[in-house]
Amino acid sequence: MVPDWVQIVLRSIGFFVLLLLLSRMLGRKVAARMTLFDVMYAIVLGMIATAVSLKIVANAVYGFIALLTWGLVGVGLTFLSMKSKAVRDFLHGREAVVIKHGKIMEEQLKKMRFTPEDLLQQLRAKQIFNVADVEFAVMESNGEINALLKTDRQPVTPHHLGLQAAPETGTQTVIIDGNIMDEPLFTMGLNRGWLKTELKKIGVAPENVFLAQVDSRGDLYVDLFDDAILPPEPTARQLLLATLEKAKADLNSFVLDSGGQETKTMYRQCVREMESLLYDLRPLLK
Amino acid sequence: MTTYAKVKETLVSLEGAKATVDTYGQIVQDKTVRNVFRRSSDQLDRVIERLKKRLRELELEEPQYRGF
Repeated sequence: MVPDWVQIVLRSIGFFVLLLLLSRMLGRKVAARMTLFDVMYAIVLGMIATAVSLKIVANAVYGFIALLTWGLVGVGLTFLSMKSKAVRDFLHGREAVVIKHGKIMEEQLKKMRFTPEDLLQQLRAKQIFNVADVEFAVMESNGEINALLKTDRQPVTPHHLGLQAAPETGTQTVIIDGNIMDEPLFTMGLNRGWLKTELKKIGVAPENVFLAQVDSRGDLYVDLFDDAILPPEPTARQLLLATLEKAKADLNSFVLDSGGQETKTMYRQCVREMESLLYDLRPLLK
Repeated sequence: MTTYAKVKETLVSLEGAKATVDTYGQIVQDKTVRNVFRRSSDQLDRVIERLKKRLRELELEEPQYRGF
């Protein structure tokens, strides 16, 4: 007969692997967004595995069968709930409207076993301290509350102000721990040569860079191993904008300085051209 | 500073700015933004052409500046 401790080690390792496989099959959603059902399911799986490892269940085969049954039922239900809305609603519950037109729906709260304090706490977690600011709030199936603020309480976006904003297509990390990452560079349409030139411009060796990122506008941000060295902030864009603004001002002064009518008209055209391109470029260069 | 020198200075800085705008036009991923940079580059070209023409006129009027 194998000694107890060896059995416990063997069972633990076996069920560890089994749980790992099962959790892989269940997908990632569980960790990202746990509903009540997900939590209970995870606890059951964990408890079966623990019970068998610690020999609370003497027969490992029974434990194995139980775990596999639960696991496969779970995988099956996950699959079904992906296919059918009715199964989803049954398993995970539906989202519920808890604030409508600025009024709290007390009945819904009671149904969800939510106290007013819970509601206030969840709203505060979203930086909403004043219920009067909320137009509409929904409790998601995992108990989280998402609120839509009244239009005059919503944060101002460039859209509200009628401003143009430069689109950001995402930042790529091109150096990690002193190593140049080729793939992110290529997705930005850049290469090692470009990166080395940029680094040379700011006077930094690639080996001394802990982290470097390129934003969608082609600006390079670097963090160095040696924090005593301060790399210059990317200023190329502001510089370009300033150059263009100055050129426009110069052209304006030429309009005033020049004598001939024809020359004046020519400079005025230039100024108009500059104004139009500055209007386009300003949001991109800010 | 004479008029000639001032115009020349503006011309040079605009040429530098155009080079930068062109590089941005190459790097930027977004299509609409790339078009904005291209259009701006064309506009800058027109301004630069006008200034160059004006400089030639100034050189004719005041030959002492030729070759500067």
